[in-house]
Amino acid sequence: MKRIVPAIMLLCLTACAAGQLMRPPELATAEGVNMAPGCAAIFPQGCWQFVHAIDFTMQDGTGGNVVGVTSLTGDGLACALMTVEGFTLFEAVYSNDAKLVVKRAVPPFDKPAFAEGLLADVRLIFLAPDAAEVRYGWLADRTEVCRYTGGDGRITDLLPTADACWQIKTYTSKLVMDRTIVGRACRKSGNGLIPEHIELRGFGQGEYTLKMTLIQADHLNQESLP
Amino acid sequence: MLALLVPAQVFAAETDTQAVPLLRSVQADFIQEKHLRILVRPIISAGTFVFQAPRSLRWEYRTPVPSLLLMHDGGVRKFAEQDGQLVEDKRVRLDAMQVVLAEISNWLDGRFTDNKMFAVTFPGHLTILLTPKDQGFAALISSIELKLADQKGLLDAVTIFEGPGSFTRLTFSNRRLNQDLPAALFTDK
Repeated sequence: MKRIVPAIMLLCLTACAAGQLMRPPELATAEGVNMAPGCAAIFPQGCWQFVHAIDFTMQDGTGGNVVGVTSLTGDGLACALMTVEGFTLFEAVYSNDAKLVVKRAVPPFDKPAFAEGLLADVRLIFLAPDAAEVRYGWLADRTEVCRYTGGDGRITDLLPTADACWQIKTYTSKLVMDRTIVGRACRKSGNGLIPEHIELRGFGQGEYTLKMTLIQADHLNQESLP
Repeated sequence: MLALLVPAQVFAAETDTQAVPLLRSVQADFIQEKHLRILVRPIISAGTFVFQAPRSLRWEYRTPVPSLLLMHDGGVRKFAEQDGQLVEDKRVRLDAMQVVLAEISNWLDGRFTDNKMFAVTFPGHLTILLTPKDQGFAALISSIELKLADQKGLLDAVTIFEGPGSFTRLTFSNRRLNQDLPAALFTDK
């Protein structure tokens, strides 16, 4: 019994510490300071098409390599996943009015939850979050943060200067960390930043990791829009 | 991809009065173009393909996503790039690749035109069209077109059609037939 109690305490302490780390950190807000341009630069400006090599790992250890295509068309987006050998696994378009339309989904990518999760990840990486309130400030280590709070209480922190590129962290309405996205090796393109590498980690019941490496990036004009 | 190995047998079926040399091995470089309706320009990949009868395969992509598939002695191994190096990826299930290998073996045994998976037609002198018989399979791949080279036993291109605007074309070059290849080519990265 004497051994069990310290073990339980240790577990509790570890869990509590982890829980604290997973919640939104305190923000020292800045009156009259506008960090919006830096945060806006995280997201591609205008219409773009990106092709990434994606290495994905699921919580159960399964995973693999695919090639992902994302088109940002202004009034919506389109995305596709294919094997390295060129076989199309998933293709969908999303428009602000018609919502999500799945055009092709090969098992195991044919579950509705997969399409919704993929869309959520794509929106998170490439589109500025919807927000009822935006606050600007600094973390304790002076890292700049734009904190977007949605109408449903979800929080998205944009860190426009982290790791010499950027980071995005999201929290559920219960203020538990949901996803982290780290951009690395950014290059400037107009007013935006395009990272060479992106790593997304999803938390919660089905944890997973996506490691994305940029293959090609095309700025789209009216003629080239798909 | 499988079709790279097919032409000798197809020619045999088409022109069975001419002797076709036994296929022992095939090596080729390839350029792969992936076309998709939403893509503003195709994704171009490059690599090499090596087959040795009866059941050894090396299928390697060098750019833009390094990847290697090895099949030998009934075993299948997949390698993917991690931190700049090719490492064995044991996360993926390779059951489908076993099926692929079985198909290759069938075709090399001359059992091509009575293929259970595809209906075979010859729309041109140097063109073969494979159409899936199963409707479920046809929803994924509508057809495969093989462009044969003038030289028997060689293939110029394979195009895999998935649906409107979506296809993958592999164009082969630097093709070598029936060279003696070390087993290590099919077991080591």
